[in-house]
Amino acid sequence: MELKIRKTAEIYVIDINGEMDLYNSYKLKDLVVKMLEKGMKSLIINLEQVDYIDSSGIGALIYICSMMKKMNLRLLIVNVRGSVKRVIELTKLTEYFPIADTIEDAIHTMAGV
Amino acid sequence: MFRVKEVQSNDDDPLFNKSNMYKHEFPSDYCRIRYFTLFIMESAPPEIRQTNLLEQQINEIIKNAVKHGNHCDPNKIITVWYSFTPDQAHIIVQDEGHGFTELERWNSFNRKRQECIKARKFCELSDYVSFRTAESDETDGGNALFAALEFWNGGLVFNSKRNAIAVLKKYPKNRTLFFT
Repeated sequence: MELKIRKTAEIYVIDINGEMDLYNSYKLKDLVVKMLEKGMKSLIINLEQVDYIDSSGIGALIYICSMMKKMNLRLLIVNVRGSVKRVIELTKLTEYFPIADTIEDAIHTMAGV
Repeated sequence: MFRVKEVQSNDDDPLFNKSNMYKHEFPSDYCRIRYFTLFIMESAPPEIRQTNLLEQQINEIIKNAVKHGNHCDPNKIITVWYSFTPDQAHIIVQDEGHGFTELERWNSFNRKRQECIKARKFCELSDYVSFRTAESDETDGGNALFAALEFWNGGLVFNSKRNAIAVLKKYPKNRTLFFT
């Protein structure tokens, strides 16, 4: 799994590429924790290039979502498709996670456009 | 009152009938869990491989057995029985551990979780998104069994010692297949 960070205005985007599984999902949690320590306020997690997710990956998303909700920070998860979408549906957390269709939609939502 | 699926333990459940199933033993090697799953998946016909959902769900069961059942003890093995047809996947996984002793607490937790989801109480749901035990660590998502109960539509049951789980996935006949 590869994580890339980019920034649009004050909104950070993490592009995830690869598989979010039991061996590497902790890396996403660790990265977000570090970004929060540096004062990040708005985050988009892009799952466009994720073709496999397991309970550890879902757990990482739950952890990040719960933490940012408690801190009253803004998070959107985008490009939830295919088997990733299906796994989230199986956990019945589709409405729990803040999901937007695309990065553009998420940026518009966060920018209040 | 709406019905919530519960996970049962029952040695006599037909899902524990191992007739005509392949059997394979694997070491409790955490680093090779996904390899074990892929080994089993080689027997699955393309019709039921779908995207990779079946692989993911089998992987969760094997991970549970290796990690939570055998605590990755190299002296312990897990045993997997499996059979696949174009219409179904039947899996039994047994470990050498003490069993899932918190099954009743899990069922109670899941009931509260389902009530929150049905009532759309998403703030309260935050307390029920992840099932934790004293043994849970940061790599445990705490959500695998919720998804498993939905995925394995032909049944999911533990044996009475709760160190073996049997699951069945049924696929509709005459379905349209999409390969990715």
